[in-house]
Amino acid sequence: MANRRDEIPPGTLYMLILRVLARHKELHGYEIANAIQQISDDVLQVEEGSLYPALQRMLLKGWVTAEWGVTAGNRRARYYRLLAAGRKQLHAEMAQYQRVNGAIQKVLQTEGAV
Amino acid sequence: MNKLREWWRQLRFRLMGQSFDADLAEEMRLHLDLRAAEKQTDGISPAEAESSARRRFGNATLLREKSRDAWGWTSLDTWLQDLRYAIRTLIASPGFAVTVVLSLALGIGANTAIFSILNAVMLRSLPVEDPHGLVKIQIGESDDDVTNPIWEQVRDHQQAFSGTLAYSSERFDLAAGGESRFTEGMWVSGDFFRVLGVPAMEGRVFSADDDRRGAEPLAVISYSFWQRNLGGDAGALGKTVRLNRHLFTIVGVTPPWFTGLDVDHSYDVAIPIACNPMLHTERNVLDSRLTWWLQMIGRIPAGESISQAQDRMRSIAPEIFRATVPLEIPAENQKEYRQRSFSLKPAATGFSETGAQYRTALLTLMAIVGLVLLIACANVANLLLARAAARQRELSVRMSMGAGRWRVIRQLMTESIFLSAIGSTFGFLLALWGSRLLVHMLSTTAHPLEINLSPDPRVLAFTIGVTLLTALLFGFAPAVRATKIELNQVLKESARAAVPGARRFNLSKLLVTGQVALSLVLLVGAGLFLGTLRNLLTLDAGFTRRNILLVSAEAQEAGVPEARRLSTFQEILARLQSIPGVVAAASSSIEPMGRGGWAQLSQPEGFVAKSPRDTLLFLNRVSSKYFETMRTPLLLGRDFNDRDNLNSAPVVIVSESTARKFFSAANPIGKTIGLEGGAFDKYVAFQVIGVAKDAKYNRLNESPRSLAYFAAGQDPAPWSKLVFEIRSETPVEALIPAVRSAVGGVNKDIALVFRSFETQVNESMLQPRVVASLASTFAGLALVLAMVGLYGVTAYAVTRRSGEIGIRMALGAQRTSVIWLILRDVMLLLGIGMVFGLAGSLAAGRLVTSLLYGVRPNNPAQLTGAVLTLALCTALAAYLPARRAAQLDPMNALRDE
Repeated sequence: MANRRDEIPPGTLYMLILRVLARHKELHGYEIANAIQQISDDVLQVEEGSLYPALQRMLLKGWVTAEWGVTAGNRRARYYRLLAAGRKQLHAEMAQYQRVNGAIQKVLQTEGAV
Repeated sequence: MNKLREWWRQLRFRLMGQSFDADLAEEMRLHLDLRAAEKQTDGISPAEAESSARRRFGNATLLREKSRDAWGWTSLDTWLQDLRYAIRTLIASPGFAVTVVLSLALGIGANTAIFSILNAVMLRSLPVEDPHGLVKIQIGESDDDVTNPIWEQVRDHQQAFSGTLAYSSERFDLAAGGESRFTEGMWVSGDFFRVLGVPAMEGRVFSADDDRRGAEPLAVISYSFWQRNLGGDAGALGKTVRLNRHLFTIVGVTPPWFTGLDVDHSYDVAIPIACNPMLHTERNVLDSRLTWWLQMIGRIPAGESISQAQDRMRSIAPEIFRATVPLEIPAENQKEYRQRSFSLKPAATGFSETGAQYRTALLTLMAIVGLVLLIACANVANLLLARAAARQRELSVRMSMGAGRWRVIRQLMTESIFLSAIGSTFGFLLALWGSRLLVHMLSTTAHPLEINLSPDPRVLAFTIGVTLLTALLFGFAPAVRATKIELNQVLKESARAAVPGARRFNLSKLLVTGQVALSLVLLVGAGLFLGTLRNLLTLDAGFTRRNILLVSAEAQEAGVPEARRLSTFQEILARLQSIPGVVAAASSSIEPMGRGGWAQLSQPEGFVAKSPRDTLLFLNRVSSKYFETMRTPLLLGRDFNDRDNLNSAPVVIVSESTARKFFSAANPIGKTIGLEGGAFDKYVAFQVIGVAKDAKYNRLNESPRSLAYFAAGQDPAPWSKLVFEIRSETPVEALIPAVRSAVGGVNKDIALVFRSFETQVNESMLQPRVVASLASTFAGLALVLAMVGLYGVTAYAVTRRSGEIGIRMALGAQRTSVIWLILRDVMLLLGIGMVFGLAGSLAAGRLVTSLLYGVRPNNPAQLTGAVLTLALCTALAAYLPARRAAQLDPMNALRDE
């Protein structure tokens, strides 16, 4: 059971993708999937394919941009890059996430004190 | 702002991204390949690596669709794709498509047609400013008119309202003499147009000043009258229009959108109430406290509720009724009068005689067409079920390729909505024509109906709503059922076994049972309405309606003083009787089978009335030979003659039921009936000289009334209007020129209206006739639909069970037992459907009692008839496929299996 994976909470996928893209200059889909797994220590399980609808939606929102390039294995791949709007979104989401998280933790701590 | 940018990106992407699908596919392919390669390095076989990569990736087809969804146009894309696909499949089975579209067009068309009439007469708001602020001011709960003194009181005490108005409709004669040409007129109060918020398009509308007693005769005309009679000429202002021989100066024209307050006809000319004495000289209508002729409307002040205004009206009611009490009526009635009060009713939808008169009929028709549509839906659903069975392979292939179940259901629903939309388009066109046809059928020469049936947003919304609902009704269950399939099984085995057969069949059995039940309700209804019509057509009305010309003569403006009216009319009658071809001619003060009437309480000799109403008599004043002309037999005594004049004792002829009611078994001849009040200044005792057979007074479907006839020659104060009845051997229209010249020979200025009595009688049966013919047409349609449904279900059962039948026959089963095998199932459906149908009929029958004449809902004979008709027709529909089953060649049937 050590290998157990949790489904990622809905809505978090955007944040994860934005976070991964913020660290790297540009990545293609497969690399994003791997990077998400790495940073989450394989705990968060993404149905890998669901990256693609999310990426399309982010393209539409103008958070990321995409360009075709060539991989190390000499295959055509679409590389995604973070845009300013995406960075702003990431900060907003992280701030909000931390606010909520902080609040939850406070609740849990007071519970524990009793 | 963000949304705008998104749209822009969407658009740009749409224009450039033609390779969207290919790009996405390539991107995903790369992902899968890289993941598989990674797995392979872990030492797994390539095939296993690939399938593992796929599992981690998820449903690629679905994800591709979701990605397209992200761009917002997947819905449109898939919808277009679905639509294209739907069109292709429907073109592939034109028979199916045509059947469905046709039955939906009929169903939706009928619903839209009836609804648009319902909408026009009952729902649509008046074309005036803020119609919802208008209320009708009525006395108590009754819809009756009010007198002018009451209106003047309300007008002068109108604190409850921001404005009040009164009006009354009357037809005016435009002709200068001779035959009348009528126009729709309105008596209006001075504030009428201001309160309604109707401005003048040309000239001006009335002001309160124009409605003062003794004011100039002025008229405001409608746009259509202006166009029709005055050529839309701006110079019409200041010209005059002749109404009942009097000239009114035109001061203004109202805009085209204002057609008056009555929804079943539009107004032509409006004149001030104060001008009434010019046209009605004989009684002072303006001061009469017993002439009830006006409708009152008030406008609720902004921000106030009806109940606030009503409270204020109620507080001033005692004062108003005290000031207007009719002194002519007995003291106890005066007391009752003074205790009356006002109530306010929303008037936004206007007034409609048609609405009140045809309300039940329209609602009944609406229910009938609703049921027909339901039956049609059941049929279409059944067809779709059968089609779904045939399309199982196609559907399961689509689903095994990764199409989600809802996706397939959506595809099937697109087909349904598409079918329904085409059906309703045709239906809508049908309704445009059908509703006009129906109004035309209900319109009579004497009372033309002019209803604005142009489709408005409400009718459109209704049609669209019905279309979607219909599609949902007939499409959804089959779509859900069709996609509930065991994929493997379908792909492996023959189509026949795929959907658990018995279950598919259950839904369609349910549908057919419902159809049978609804059809029975419609058949029973049609039977009741046809029975009503038959009773009306065959009833003994107490007269012979054929070959009688009715001529109403109005001497008001003909310069005949009241003292000479009797002799003038007698002279005209004598001339009419001598016209060649005339068999008999007579006159009456009340038009037989017309809309008017004269009723009074009486004091019959020796009769003890339980209530005053028991002595109510419907009266007429007729010349001698009236009964001969109408062919109403005199059962006892004698007809009026020349000796019954102003100098002889007053006499009366009563109808059979009057005689029976007042004098029971005793000989009525020689008894007296006293009358007082009403048309008589003082008590008059009439001696009964004859008994005539019962005759109808206003309508054929009226319940029997007590009639009494007075002698025209004994009329001390004849009315200015009289009706001549002329019986001829030739078609009555041929008499008109001779009648015109005969009347003209006595007085050229008498206004005449000609009408055939037969038409008059038939028009009084219009509503029952229309209801009966529509109800039976729709019931017939329902029956056919139910037969088709049953045929389909039985035929399907035969196909499905052909193997079983083959085995049975191979084992020696007789043809009859095979037929019985099939029919047994059908009988069960029929039986269950009929039980529900009977229950429904019993419930529905009670709702339409007011439309029936001489037939009672729920009578066993009628119900049995309907059940037998339905049983016979449906059994026939089921027998045909059953017989085919019996003719199966067992060898073939088994080989198929």
